[in-house]
Amino acid sequence: MKLALLSESPADEAALSVLVGYVLGAPFTRVQPTLRARGWPSVEQVLPAILRHLHFNTEADGLIVVVDSDSSVVHTPQHEAPAYHHPGCRICRLRTVFRRTLKNLPLNTAHPTPANTAHPQVRRERVLRAVGLAVPAMEAWYLCGRDTSITEAAWTQGQAAGRVPYSRSELKWRVYGTERPTLPHEIKRAVQEVTRHQGDVRRLEHDFPQGFGSLARDLRSWRAESSC
Amino acid sequence: MISAVHFKNFKALRSTAVRLEPFNLLIGPSGSGKTSLIEALLRLRYLAGQATAPGPTSALAFLNGPQIEFHFHPPFQNVRVTLGCQADELSCHRLRVDHPPGLAGAGQWAELRTQLQGIRAYLLDHQAMGAPGLRSAGTELAANASNLAAVLAQRAQQAPVAFAHLVTDFCRIMPEFSGFDFRGVGEGHVELRAALRDSPERLSCENLSQGTLYLLAILTLAHDPQPPTLVCLEEADRGVHPRLLREVRDALYRLSYPVATETPRPVVQVVATTHAPYLLDLFRDHPSEIVLAHKQGNAASFERLTDRPDVLELMRETNLGDLWYSGILGGIPGD
Ligand SMILES: [Zn+2]
Repeated sequence: MKLALLSESPADEAALSVLVGYVLGAPFTRVQPTLRARGWPSVEQVLPAILRHLHFNTEADGLIVVVDSDSSVVHTPQHEAPAYHHPGCRICRLRTVFRRTLKNLPLNTAHPTPANTAHPQVRRERVLRAVGLAVPAMEAWYLCGRDTSITEAAWTQGQAAGRVPYSRSELKWRVYGTERPTLPHEIKRAVQEVTRHQGDVRRLEHDFPQGFGSLARDLRSWRAESSC
Repeated sequence: MISAVHFKNFKALRSTAVRLEPFNLLIGPSGSGKTSLIEALLRLRYLAGQATAPGPTSALAFLNGPQIEFHFHPPFQNVRVTLGCQADELSCHRLRVDHPPGLAGAGQWAELRTQLQGIRAYLLDHQAMGAPGLRSAGTELAANASNLAAVLAQRAQQAPVAFAHLVTDFCRIMPEFSGFDFRGVGEGHVELRAALRDSPERLSCENLSQGTLYLLAILTLAHDPQPPTLVCLEEADRGVHPRLLREVRDALYRLSYPVATETPRPVVQVVATTHAPYLLDLFRDHPSEIVLAHKQGNAASFERLTDRPDVLELMRETNLGDLWYSGILGGIPGD
């Protein structure tokens, strides 16, 4: 498969790339040049343009988007109800952007690949969607299995009680040993930590059932689609 | 080292103060006092270095003229230095030092004075950096980095480990390069050349891009085994691709937070300026490091971003760079 990844930093991207490989259970290649956004609001703003670009100009089979939840509303099973959309939930919002944008793009069957070999050889009708939410930040995923107190449930219960159990900067300290890691250190630690889940991402799905679970379910649905 | 600077009638800075952290990023329009702050720091270095720097007993009558008062972090928290002049004089060229009495106080001032001599300000000039430099002039980086080749040649010889770290960092960020070498040219001059990864070719400095040279100069500072005590860097983002601004930030953090990179040396205070919203975005986790320079008519003032009570709320759904550009934060040119 040829995939595009969009997240909030190169370190997130590196870790995400590893995790996507574990869930898909198959190697994939990345669309070049790589995509990048500048934090949450930018991801949502740039997503329609990225989808158009991937659809028309690349061979991308799917786009994987993962953002930090920060202090926003965390996705819940109730949000999965048909036509439901929570305006404060980043998963709901990103899915809406996917749906609205893709709906307005012509299916690739209507645009047969020209004979020109320089043009991408497109196999799919539409770019597939996978959306995840790191609650409250990717560093929580990196600590999964190391610290049982860091879970989506602990975070959402803390949010409901008005007292979150840990901060972004505390998570950063735990992962990097500093609040100001250099990029190579951040990438190295991120990849080291997610590599612990090689061959089995059930722990991540158990501790982060919405944010990571949604991502994993989206990715697995691709396998079903590609085997049809 | 410096904890705060208070301004009274110094150029456009009529009555304002700025608290300084280990790292400080100043944003604001032209004429909002960013360069005046750097100028004040350089003047402090100059006047504190004069042999006749007076003590508290020689308090000068410059109460009616411009004044710049400096406060310091421990262990110098009881020392206060004021630059000023009389109302009819043009520039703050006098210095008053208030320190605790006795030998201990005098000792504190003597030590602080030594540290103040380590203040440096840089406004990088790629054209000057591209030219070969006099090999003997490589002790420390010049204000425009014109002696970059000589500084690196000297470091390669005298501090090979620090030089190797710098080269590794540079080649990681700019993977098209694999290293540097030095070539003697003319009478005692040295030229810096960059080796390309996929080619035997060497590029002389004058053929390197502007952004490459700026990044190299910033890394030269960041990996300096004997850095200044305070580094001012104007237009820190200049010439650098937005995707590489994180590297600029990290390099400057290496100076001001040496523990974070396990660099065994004292903290170097950093005062950087920028006009790049994308660089500002990178301070989302540390908004307290941003200083807004406001300009209202002919008057200018400073404000630490986190002194605004609503800033965290504003940052929930908007990038810092966009907040700044929108005008919500201030620090913008007048219409
Ligand atoms: Zn939702």
